[in-house]
Amino acid sequence: MQEYSNGHQVDLTTRLGTLVLRNPVITASGTYGFGEEYAAYCSPSSLGAITVKGITPLPRLGNPVPRLAETPAGLLNSVGLENPGLEEFINSYLPKLAQLDTAVIVNISGFSLEDYSLMASALEEHSRPKNRDQARSGGIAALEVNISCPNIKHGGMAFGTNPKSAEAVVQAVKRNTTLPVIAKLSPNVTDIAEMAKAVSSGGADIISLINTLLGMSIDIRTQKPVLANKMGGLSGPAIRPVAVRMVYQVYEAVELPLIGMGGIATWEDAVEFMLAGASAVSIGTANFVNPMAPLEILKGLEDYCRQRGYHSVQEIVGLAHG
Amino acid sequence: MYLNEKVVENRLVGHPGQAIYKMVLKGQAAQTAQPGQFVHIRVAESFDPLLRRPLSIAGINREREEITIYYRVAGKGTRLLSQIRANEYLSVLGPLGTGFTIPRDGEFLLIAGGIGVFPIYSLMEAVAQPQVKIKLFWGGENKEFLESAGLKHLQDLGIDYEITTLDGSLGQQGLVTDPFRKYLAEVSNSFAGVKDKTKTPPLWAAACGPPGMLKAVTEICLENGIPLEVSLEERMACGVGACLGCVCTVRDAAGNLRRKRACKDGPVFEAKEVVWDAGV
Ligand SMILES: Cc1cc2nc3c(=O)[nH]c(=O)nc-3n(C[C@H](O)[C@H](O)[C@H](O)COP(=O)(O)OP(=O)(O)OC[C@H]3O[C@@H](n4cnc5c(N)ncnc54)[C@H](O)[C@@H]3O)c2cc1C
Ligand SMILES: Cc1cc2nc3c(=O)[nH]c(=O)nc-3n(C[C@H](O)[C@H](O)[C@H](O)COP(=O)(O)O)c2cc1C
Ligand code: FES
Repeated sequence: MQEYSNGHQVDLTTRLGTLVLRNPVITASGTYGFGEEYAAYCSPSSLGAITVKGITPLPRLGNPVPRLAETPAGLLNSVGLENPGLEEFINSYLPKLAQLDTAVIVNISGFSLEDYSLMASALEEHSRPKNRDQARSGGIAALEVNISCPNIKHGGMAFGTNPKSAEAVVQAVKRNTTLPVIAKLSPNVTDIAEMAKAVSSGGADIISLINTLLGMSIDIRTQKPVLANKMGGLSGPAIRPVAVRMVYQVYEAVELPLIGMGGIATWEDAVEFMLAGASAVSIGTANFVNPMAPLEILKGLEDYCRQRGYHSVQEIVGLAHG
Repeated sequence: MYLNEKVVENRLVGHPGQAIYKMVLKGQAAQTAQPGQFVHIRVAESFDPLLRRPLSIAGINREREEITIYYRVAGKGTRLLSQIRANEYLSVLGPLGTGFTIPRDGEFLLIAGGIGVFPIYSLMEAVAQPQVKIKLFWGGENKEFLESAGLKHLQDLGIDYEITTLDGSLGQQGLVTDPFRKYLAEVSNSFAGVKDKTKTPPLWAAACGPPGMLKAVTEICLENGIPLEVSLEERMACGVGACLGCVCTVRDAAGNLRRKRACKDGPVFEAKEVVWDAGV
């Protein structure tokens, strides 16, 4: 083994199949808006990629408030996929996103197979840079297929909890795009490995996991659920052990590169996910607590690799196995 | 801004049973703070409680680089905050949000319910008097609450105010909307003879308090044609507009319902656009 001095460079380049990122730190869908809100605190240009809020074919008002409930080291949300809809997203948000010096992952959600096909083909047209300004980022870098949102009554999680429909959704997207397709898995299933295999046969290029865990909180004063929608998705440090376990299982079940997420708040957490088998990590709820978290995590990852003598951050992926 | 602010002061004010604290923070937040904006404070370094806590900016002193916050201990987060001592540092995000419009002439009517008076404090200080005449209507639970939440401060400022309490222990018994409505009736009577409305001083209004009160104040102001701004409270996670957790509902010019984010587009909104009890 080659010996390194303490000051050596660690290659942060992250290859997720054909999706190449400058580093393995991504921001998670729904927690980073459309890239503008946190720009003043944590420049998108220092991130591997950003994932935008889930888009649906038509605009959605989402669920009524209260949409948030705090739990020990966790957050329940029932935003319910509030978003401007595909058309408005393409016209008003995408041009600004394309200017960012980072890879942009567009998260899509639907209520039918047609919804997913429609969005994939509409976004396909915008997947290539339109001019020199956009060439640096390259328009849209990948599509993340959200088959796992627990906050909507029909569709959404139904696709994410049934292997056959999960496979069909991924196939529908895949047929309508040349972009790398990331299938985002729901943790609200008995056998996560089975779901991973299903999206893999559907043609997914990358798997991201986990989305939020379905949960509930009841106010003992009013004796009613805190969330107007009654149930919501649990995120934050509280769910991390569940997410690590699932990344570990999926790594053994399929060959695809994985994006790990679920409660990552520190660089140590990120290392844990990579050892479990994630090639990249996504930061969600932690942004709310510390808007610099993605940068601090990146720095910690790099230092960890340097101190341990790795020349590429990818060398630690999956080391917890075998 | 993502800041480390120094705690200059953090102490109980008033009756212990009311658990109201005053906190003074020194640092950069004071440079750009505007009345109606808030700061998002991390109360502990652990992940429980996980989220930051939003608190209104109640006082701004740019020369001393200080902002003042008043808060009531309401649960775990504010209890932890109350234990922080002077000279410690706090992680602060802010100043955040869109604040109040500050009138330059006429009469400015302020309506506050309970601890909704806190952001009104910085607003009053920002208004140039006597060019603008201020009148405050403030309603609280009882005398102990009003005394703890800054009644003396109002007296020191020499503000014209009317107070109400639910139990009648101080001021008039009832809701704050009662004297507000009565006052508007008096004003419109006194100008009844003036044909040319441009000759009467303009009236502006701003309100902060529980949603029921804000809704009632909005109706009164709409009836009387008074432009009103309201400061809304919603549960918040990010505080910067990224999570869509804190939305309120508005009706746009075309009549369609839309969401706005209390943390970014607000917390101060034009009352006439807000849809109360949207039910969706
Ligand atoms: C823009 C804004 C300005 C505010 N300004 C002030 C102020 O100047 N002084 C003051 O005393 N209080 C203010 N509040 C309310 C204050 O944020 C809550 O009382 C506080 O967050 C309660 O936290 P806790 O942990 O003590 O209580 P808990 O009940 O344990 O809080 C649990 C969760 O609910 C949220 N929450 C509870 N009550 C409220 C509430 N009324 N509004 C919003 N979120 C709530 C908390 O943030 C937390 O996420 C403001 C709220 C907002 C949104
Ligand atoms: C407020 C909020 C909104 C979210 N919205 C979406 C969404 O639109 N699409 C999606 O695929 N995941 C969404 N998620 C899930 C996150 O992307 C992430 O999978 C999950 O929160 C776990 O990561 P974390 O614990 O780091 O937050 C949302 C999460 C939160 C907290
Ligand atoms: S608190 Fe996140 S959008 Fe307002």
